[in-house]
Order: sequence, then C-alpha cells, then structure tokens
Amino acid sequence: MTTTTTTPTTTSTGSTRTPKKRTRSPIAPYVFVAPAVVLYIAFLLVPMLYSIYLSFRGMRLVSGGAFGKRKSVFIGFENYISALTDPEFIAGFGRLAIYGAIAIPLTLGLALLFALLLDLGATRAKRFSRTSIFIPYAVPGVVATLMWGFMYLPLTSPFSYITRELGWGTIPFLEDPWIFGSVANIAIWGGVGFNMIIIYTSLRGIPSELYDAARIDGANEWQIAMRVKVPLVTPALVLTGLFAVIGTLQVYGEPTTLRPMTSAISQTWVPLMTIYRDAFVRDDLPRAAASSVFLAVITVVLSVILLRLTQKRAFGGES
Amino acid sequence: MRSRAFAATSALIAVGALLVGCSGGSESGSDDDASSGPVTLEYWAWGTAQAPMVEAWNEAHPDIQVKHTDAGGGSDSSAKLLTATRADNAPDVSVVEYQTLPAMIVGDVAADITEYVDDDLKSQFTDATWGLTTFNDAIYGVPQDVGPMAFIYNQARLDELGVPVPTTWAEFKTASAAVRAADPTTYLATFNTTEFGFFAGMAQQAGGEWWSVDGETWTVGIDDEASMEVADYWQDLIDNDLVKVEDLLTPQWNQEVNAGQVLSWPSALWAPGVIYGVAEGMAGQWAMAPLPQWTPGDSKVAYQGGSAVVVTTSSKHPKEAAEFAAWINSSDEGADIQLETGQYPASTLGQTKAETSDPPLLMPQQTDFWQLASEIAGNTIPNISWGPNVNVAQSAFQDAMAKAVKDGTPLSEALTATQEVVVEDMKTTGFDVSE
Amino acid sequence: MARPTLAHDTERTPFMSKALPTAVILIGALYCLVPVAWVLVASTKSRSELFTTFTFAPGTGFIENLKDLFAYGGGQYVSWAFNSLLYAGVGAVLSVVVSAMAGYGLAKYQFRGRNLIFYAILAGVLIPGITLAIPQYLLMSQIGFAGSYASVLLPVIVSPFGIYLCRVFAAASVPVETIEAARLDGAGEARIFTNIGVPMMLPGMVTVFMLQFVGIWNNFLLPFIMLSDQDKYPITVGLYTLLSKGSGEPALYSIAIIGAAVSIIPLVALLLFLQRFWRLDLISGGLKG
Repeated sequence: MTTTTTTPTTTSTGSTRTPKKRTRSPIAPYVFVAPAVVLYIAFLLVPMLYSIYLSFRGMRLVSGGAFGKRKSVFIGFENYISALTDPEFIAGFGRLAIYGAIAIPLTLGLALLFALLLDLGATRAKRFSRTSIFIPYAVPGVVATLMWGFMYLPLTSPFSYITRELGWGTIPFLEDPWIFGSVANIAIWGGVGFNMIIIYTSLRGIPSELYDAARIDGANEWQIAMRVKVPLVTPALVLTGLFAVIGTLQVYGEPTTLRPMTSAISQTWVPLMTIYRDAFVRDDLPRAAASSVFLAVITVVLSVILLRLTQKRAFGGES
Repeated sequence: MRSRAFAATSALIAVGALLVGCSGGSESGSDDDASSGPVTLEYWAWGTAQAPMVEAWNEAHPDIQVKHTDAGGGSDSSAKLLTATRADNAPDVSVVEYQTLPAMIVGDVAADITEYVDDDLKSQFTDATWGLTTFNDAIYGVPQDVGPMAFIYNQARLDELGVPVPTTWAEFKTASAAVRAADPTTYLATFNTTEFGFFAGMAQQAGGEWWSVDGETWTVGIDDEASMEVADYWQDLIDNDLVKVEDLLTPQWNQEVNAGQVLSWPSALWAPGVIYGVAEGMAGQWAMAPLPQWTPGDSKVAYQGGSAVVVTTSSKHPKEAAEFAAWINSSDEGADIQLETGQYPASTLGQTKAETSDPPLLMPQQTDFWQLASEIAGNTIPNISWGPNVNVAQSAFQDAMAKAVKDGTPLSEALTATQEVVVEDMKTTGFDVSE
Repeated sequence: MARPTLAHDTERTPFMSKALPTAVILIGALYCLVPVAWVLVASTKSRSELFTTFTFAPGTGFIENLKDLFAYGGGQYVSWAFNSLLYAGVGAVLSVVVSAMAGYGLAKYQFRGRNLIFYAILAGVLIPGITLAIPQYLLMSQIGFAGSYASVLLPVIVSPFGIYLCRVFAAASVPVETIEAARLDGAGEARIFTNIGVPMMLPGMVTVFMLQFVGIWNNFLLPFIMLSDQDKYPITVGLYTLLSKGSGEPALYSIAIIGAAVSIIPLVALLLFLQRFWRLDLISGGLKG
C-alpha cells in the first residue's frame, strides 16, 4: 500500500462533487448516513438537550415538614450561579491547569521525540522500542492507575526503595505537590505510545527527496528534524494536541482510582469529580448538569481557539 | 429496487440495534404481574450474608421470589439507589446504611411501611435500635445489623510494652504517649480524615447532637460544644505526635497492623472481621474491650455503621417487600445466617443467639466476646437522629478534615466549615433550619 | 510498508549519534514496560508477600492467586472478562458498520444537509462523557434499558471520531472514477458500497475497529453509571470495585493485581497482531479536509 498522507485531502473531497445527475437514487446518501444520524440524535443530541433542560431545574422541598419530599422544579440560572461561585469547583479548574501544564507538553514532546528517533536511520532496536512504547495504550486507565499507584506507595515503590537505600528517604509521590506530577505521569504513560504512532506514520509519509535536498544544503540530522520534519507533521501535532486538551478537561478515572491511596486528592480535585459528586453523592443531578454544560462549553471554546491558532501556524509552515 | 432494498437494510440495522436492547433489557424495576403467578422482588444488598438469606427466603416463600443484586458497597449502592429512583428503575427492597436513611426518605427512595409493620415485629428490637428507622412516628425500614462502638486492640503488643487498656479517653491519651515512649516506631492508633461515622459516633458519645428535629424545624449541631471538644481532643493527640494521621485499610495501614506498629482501632463490633481480612496472622493477638469513655464509670456508646432494609417507593409490591424485609431480619434462619457470616444482628433474637456462638476468628482466645458485645449493645445511646443530607455532610467533612490536616489548620475549623456547608445545603433545598 | 529504502537509512553515522538515539528510545521503552513488569511480578506474590518483600522480587503465590481470582464471587471475573469482550467486540463491529456507511455517504455524495450533519457529528467529539452519561442513564431508564447489556452497548455505537475517520478514508481511498464506472455498468448504490467501497476502505475500517475496541474496553464511566448488577460489569469496573470496598470490607489488592495482569495480556496480544493493519497516517492527513 502506498501512503498518501500529505496529499491534501481537500482535493479528493473536492472531487467528490458528482458532475452530472445520473439516474441514481437521490435518497441513497441519506440511507447511508441514516443509522449514524439516528443513533447520534438518540445518544448524543437528545441527552445533551436533556442535560441543558435539567440544568435549569432543582430539587426543592415541596410538601414541607422535616421529612418532606423533594421534587424537581424550575429554578432558572441558580445552578449555574452556585456552580460558578463555588470556590472548590473553580479551584478544580486551577488544579486541572497545573495537571495539564505537565501532562500535555510532556505527552506531545515525548511522542514527537520518540517518533523522530524511530524515523532516524541511526537508531537501533526500533521494533522492540516501538512495540514497548505502544503497549500502555492497551492498558485501561483504571488498571494503569492501579499499577502506578503501587509504584508510588512508599511500601511498594521501587523508586522509593532505591532512594531509601541511598539514604535520601521516601519520595512523597502521593503528597502535594508531587501528586500533580504523579497523576500526570499516568496519563503521559498511557498517551505517549498512541500519539507517537500517529506522528511516526505521518513522518513515514514524507518523501525522502525532501531530506536529500536538505542534506545537499549541508543540514545535519538534527536540523533536518527541526526544519523539515517537524513543520511537515504539524497537522498530526495539532490533532494530537487537540485530543490531549480534550482529554485533560475530562480527567476523571485516574484521580478517582488513586483517591483511596491518598488524601491529597479531594472529592472535588478536578471538575469532573465535582460533577460526579454532585450527581451521585449529593443527589443533585441538576447542579451536576449545569456544571457539565459549563465544562462542555469550555471544551468547545478551547478547541476552537486551539484550532484557530494552530491552523495559521500549520499553513504558515507549509508555504 | 436496489436502493429500496438497501434502505430497508439500513433501517434494519438501526432497528436491530434497538432490538439488541430489548432482548437484554427486560428486567427493569419490578414486574407488573401481581395477579398471575409468583411475585418477583428485586433486592439490592452487599456483603456475604445476603445471598444465603435470600436463598432461605425463596425456599420458604415460593409465592414471593427475591432476586438479589450486589450493586456495590454502602456509598456506591446508595448513590445508585437515588439515581435509579429518579429514573424509576429502583429495586423493590434495598439495604441502606442508617446514616443515609434520612437522605433516602427525603429523596423519596424509602417508603413509609408503617401500615405493614405490626407490634410483634417491633418487639423483636430494642427501642434504641428501632429508633434508627423511625422518623416522626413513621417507620421507614427494618434494622438488619448494628455496629455498637467498641475498642479493638493488639493485646499481645500492649502487654509487651506494658501499656494498660484505656477505659477513658484521658487514659487513651496516656496510653498513646506510653506506646510512643516504649517504641518510637509504633502508635496506639491512627486518626483518619475520612471516617465520618467514627467522628460522629465520638461526638454523640460526648453528648453532641449533629441533627435534631423539633416539629418542622431542624437544628444542625456539627460544630456544637461536644463536637468541638472531640476535635480539640484529636488535635492535641496529632499535635503531640501521639497518633498518626493516616487513612484506614490502605496497604500502608494494613502493613503497620501486621507489623504491630498500629496497636488499636477504636471502631465497632464488626471490626474484628475486617482486621482478620487484612491481617490473618494477628489471630489470637487482638482482643476487644468497651470503647473508652469521656467520664470515668460511664458506659454509653454510639453506633458506627450498620444498616436497615428499606422498601422503595418504586416498588409495586410494598406489602410483599415489607414482609421480606421483616422476615430476613427477625427470623431464626436469618439470625443464624447473619451470625455465620459475621454480621452482628440488630434483632434481640439474633443478639441472644450470638452469646452462645464462637468468638470471631481474630480473637479465638476471647471466649467472652459475645457476652461483652451484648453488654455493649445494651448501652447504646437511644434516639440518635441523622439529617436529611448526611451525604453532603460526609463529603464536606472528609474534604475539610483532609485539608485541615494537610494545611495544619485546626480540626475544629473543619467542623465549622462542614456545619456551614450542611446548613447552606438544607436551606437551599427548602428545609426550615434554626440558627 | 512499500516505501523505498531511504538514503538516510543506510548512511554511516559516528558512534555517538548512533548510540545516543538508541539509548534515549530504550529508556522510553523501559519507562513503558516497568509498570507492566511490576504487575506481572506482583501477581506472583501471596497476600502476605505483597507488602513485605522487595517490589520486584517474585513471590510464591501465583497459582493461589489465580485460584482466588477465578473463585472470587463465584467466578465473577470470568463474567467480567466475557462482558468486556462482548461490549468491546460487538460495540466495535456495529460501530465500524455505522461509521463506514456514514463516512462513505458523507465523502462520496453531495446532498442537502451534508455539511450540517458532518459538523454536528464532529462537534460530538468535544462533549465530555459525563455530560452525556447521566442523561443517557435517565433516558435509558425511561425506555427500560438501564442496567442491561444494551445500555452500555447502544451509546458506544455512534462514534463521532470513527465517522470522521471513515469519511477521510473513503475520500482518500475510493476513487470517484471507479464509482462512476460501476454506475455506468448499472450497479446499484448499495452494491457499489459493499463490493467496491468496503474492500477499498478495509484498512481504514480495521483502524476504526481497533480504536473503538480499545476505547470501549477501557471505558469506565459509562458502565459504572449504567450498571448495577456486578455480573454485568466489564473488567474495568469490576477491578475498581475490588479496590474500593468500603470500610468494613478490606480491599482485595492481590486479586485486583492478578486480575489486572490477566486482563492486559489478551489485549496487548490483539493490539500487536492488528498493529500491522493500522492506517493511522490518515488520521492526521485528513485534518484539514
């Protein structure tokens, strides 16, 4: 098979415009997309709208009395106001920012580094390394957290064992502020391999003539990597970056699974944990709905900003 | 033609997807075939006692068959119960912890079963126990097991270090200091920030009342005088390094228990089974004593843990459901199964039976274990009431306590913070709360 | 891969420039393997050895742990594994079928509402899972599906990213000329799709299958919220419950560890096997499309 990566797909999309209206049935395309659209409406659109509806309601005492029943009533923007003025919910975004500032650059940076190394002629043991680095992708987050959790616990940590032997004491992986790095590490570990493969396959698609030209100009491998390869895989980096940002905003499983092992992670450590607590511990679904609508809006806004910013760059790099 | 056939196929996929659902989704809620055939009840419960109890019931009652589902432990299960009720998908009967019962009542999960309960059933429980499921004269559940608080300790190590078993909290402090002095790697106990039930129990023992109702008005006393004293008491122990701040039942804690570096667990009657689960090797070395007291000579204790069986408002067969709840918690068969599986029964029948059974595996040497247990159970504080938002209180308490310990701020401030969250939440919901 | 030998592949480089990249990437490989090695070693330790012996010292309890694992809850682990396989396998297959049809339709036809549908679906990538999971649960309950296998299966069939990928794959690998030629021969649209489109899109479909399979296999939140019966849990939720037993019930660490070890082996094997069919290059290639 031939790789057609860098062929701008815009051309092929453009060419799908069918020239003439033939005898073919006009309903065919609708039939093709129908199952997806039906399922999309049923399991994405309707729940989304339902979330928005819920976010304007609240459980309030209707019958009065010390053990009166609570019923759902319309309360306007009260949920949004209480969520956005809750210092813990907002602090969760702060913690998320710290976590993201560690996890996103390191995941992408390491993925790019490994991909470039794999693409380098001089590197040995490629097959083994590529497979090894990719393996964590197949490990569910819950399982990854379980494994890393034990590698952090003073009692079972091989790292702390070494530092103790050296007389430096135990590494406080599960305490502030180390906890940010420790949680981020689990995400990095799980994400590097997949991102590496995406970038690597993009690299493989670059025609080798481009390198030859650069080499004739006297560029060394490092310069080729920085000046030729990186700009050409920018679209791949943008995509992986976008997924990393979305993934960061939706962090939930890792800190939740780690929580029984440390008190440094509160029940409201990141926004999704607050949402879960409101919905299931506090039995306040409407408030949880409001918070999650807010989170969804943030995700959309950040993604659009990211795409806007990088698209300019991507095009600038290619011209 | 082709495209029509294709359209049909395509529609089939969409419909097929929905059909996959139908075939697997037929067991929601309770069946509506009351008139024909046996009634089927769905029952959510956790722990090893449940399956044999359900089996025994099903054998004795062919007309009312019960299907048992383990929906997770206390907090997971109650969270799911609330959501399932919103979704009109709740089981008929469920086990609920005493402290979350009020939340289940105002959440419209637990049904009022007063009309299905007779005095005969009521007489099977002490007033203190029965009070746990009665609110404003309405009955919302049948008590299943109780956890009167007790002191579980490593007798062998305390003897070795020459430290006597404390009978008051003042002695507990002295004993902590003595343990620290005798062996600096060892603590008498740990304090942990997540044990809401334990702290509440200690506050109740000191005379605190976290929630109380007067007519239509609630009073919240999480930061009342007695509770603040409890906070200051632990603060003092922490500040002087007499107890270690550490979460319970973590690998680290388990290891320290096994190594004889954590020597006691002030908790409740169910604790020996838990310790045995993480430290089998400690069998024969641990023992139980009554919980230390605030006033010498006193003997009152609170409950920590324990649960009741409730009938849900979603049930279409509340009468049968109540019958089931009553039977498993008051019959001979039920009591035997509870004792076999390590539950301390709530019924007086079960508690009497317990007196003649073998001591827990952790402490085979303590032959008077069950006599002592029944003595302790007889001294529990009556009429403890939990509020309608214990879930909110618990999560606020845990976060505030963890923060206090981490930042080195007073535990008493964490109680004040919890109080504020709880009162605020009750007011938002519309409860009448007195200041 | 059919790429011709590259000039820089054969170029001679001084020792340092050969050893350094190799060393760096081997460190990366080690970093990724250490936790996996740990879980495999830890799974051989008995309950008492787990917290007492050196982390990487093999234990003596492997067989015992295996027996405990399969005996737990009357063989619940086997049901969890089966459920995971069911959710991930059936879910991924249905998802591929739906995505391929939609992607092909969106790429190869010009019709009213095409862009609206495409962008609406693309926006679905941005919605946080929990925003959907709660209302999905409530809606599932309305139609009586909550707690059933279907409640976990149905929501994962529609995958915005899968549809997006299939559109890219279809655009890149199914030439318009071939379709037109088939039409001239009188083939129907459905036949063109199944006989021409699908074979050409197959590598892309394998990719979507893998992505969806792994995605569903790793999914935690949706089944955690939807299911109440432990016998219907997938492995992720099952292992979580082993770790988070409440006070009064000790966590079952050694069972959770061997459960984790056993669960990752088949998935890693599947991944390594299917790796050769991946077409991840197109993921990023189509971004600007």
